[in-house]
Amino acid sequence: MKKMPIYSLLLLVLLLVIWEWVAGTLSELVLPAPSVIWMTLIDGLASGYFTPHIIRTASEVLLGLLFGCLSGFIIGILMGEVTFLRKLLFPYIVASQAVPKLALTPLFILWFGFGMTSKVVITALVCFFPLLESTVTAIQTSDTHKKELFKMLGATRFQTLIHLKIPAGMPGILAGLRVSVVLAVVGAVVGEFIGSSEGLGALIIATQAMMDTPLMFATLILLTVFGMILYLIVSWFEKKWLKRYQKEI
Amino acid sequence: MSFLTIEDVTYSYQGKHPVLHRINWGIEQGEFHCLLGKSGCGKTTLLKLAAGLLQSDEGNIMLQGNEVVKPSAQCGFVFQSPNLLEWKTVIENVLLPITLKRKITKEDRNQALELLELVGLGSYGDRYPLQLSGGEQSRVAIARALIQRPSLLFLDEPFAALDAITREELQDDLLRMCHMHHITVLFITHDIAEAVYLSDVVAIMAQGEIVYRTPVKLERPRTMKMRYQLYFNELCLTLRQVLSGEHS
Repeated sequence: MKKMPIYSLLLLVLLLVIWEWVAGTLSELVLPAPSVIWMTLIDGLASGYFTPHIIRTASEVLLGLLFGCLSGFIIGILMGEVTFLRKLLFPYIVASQAVPKLALTPLFILWFGFGMTSKVVITALVCFFPLLESTVTAIQTSDTHKKELFKMLGATRFQTLIHLKIPAGMPGILAGLRVSVVLAVVGAVVGEFIGSSEGLGALIIATQAMMDTPLMFATLILLTVFGMILYLIVSWFEKKWLKRYQKEI
Repeated sequence: MSFLTIEDVTYSYQGKHPVLHRINWGIEQGEFHCLLGKSGCGKTTLLKLAAGLLQSDEGNIMLQGNEVVKPSAQCGFVFQSPNLLEWKTVIENVLLPITLKRKITKEDRNQALELLELVGLGSYGDRYPLQLSGGEQSRVAIARALIQRPSLLFLDEPFAALDAITREELQDDLLRMCHMHHITVLFITHDIAEAVYLSDVVAIMAQGEIVYRTPVKLERPRTMKMRYQLYFNELCLTLRQVLSGEHS
């Protein structure tokens, strides 16, 4: 199994070779060859053409993640702790889960304009729910025996939350964050599709109009890499935390 | 007045199913008492009432003349499962009761290390609970219960999940530490030999009442050989008969 990464890499090379070969028989407008896409990508990065778009999308995603996850986490804790709030809000949470959030993008553009705000809002909204749900579940399902221990030790409600419920629920909360991170990129890009002049999503729409397929592919690669980096960061944190739950060091 | 006095205590779940019925009990300072009974006889409930984790419907529980209404820092509690926090290291787990009260000082850390040393886990401070065996986890739980220097210790079948040899080692460790710190103990178990080996007094509970009480006349410190003496075994037999209702 140690050689698996090598095999994965070999598969990638094989796919690229097939792609290159197939692309040779088709118009560049339909399927550009990997070599062409690669050159476009490098050119774009070197000339700084991509830079403003990357910065724009990255700030939308990061701001959206920050606001969405923070509010999801805080409201999740409140709903997990206060039964009244949970019962009051639960039907609305279920209802809002059913609304396709991305379908609200045109509305947000109407409300918040074509600038960054509308994309941050939509991204935040998309990130909010997975984290809210995982936090509520994590806070509620902490071990009864451990809660009894904290009662025996005379811990206050706040101490029980900080020292028991949140750390005990961390694996679940981090799993929610992992989902949020991936959705955040989708949220920002879809927001940019609908109304924006800058950002990687806007660039994809522009390349479609310009019929510049290699540039479109290059942008897609950038988005994929960006999403992967975010995902890997969260996974790294998760691994570091969950290490304590494993038997071996 | 005893150190811990339980007077006419009655308890029922949600006011319906009676669990305990007019229990009376007293423990003198420094004594080791065991409550023995089948599962479901109400012994854990009685322990939780005594520790202040539950409130009785009727009757009083007094600790050194003060009524017990909530858990006191003077009491330690060891649960059925080690109940350690998996995300904290062993030493952080031992220090938890103090962490919840105030900032940890260097003396606290030294005391925790000393306690870990006493339970034979001196070099395990930086490990995480899941890296330890079941017996080691139980030892950490005991160290945690002792960090606040309690004068009274409640234990709820702490060794039930351990193998026989480990259990005997832990019983000896427990007796040694309780003797060293002059701790009064109320211990719950369903293991007859364990009750006899540990206690000064053994009580048997059945259907929410204390049905039998006997002193254990064995010298201290207890040794492994005592487990095979005639007196020890006869006492075990008597208790066994009471438990199955053959003795009156």
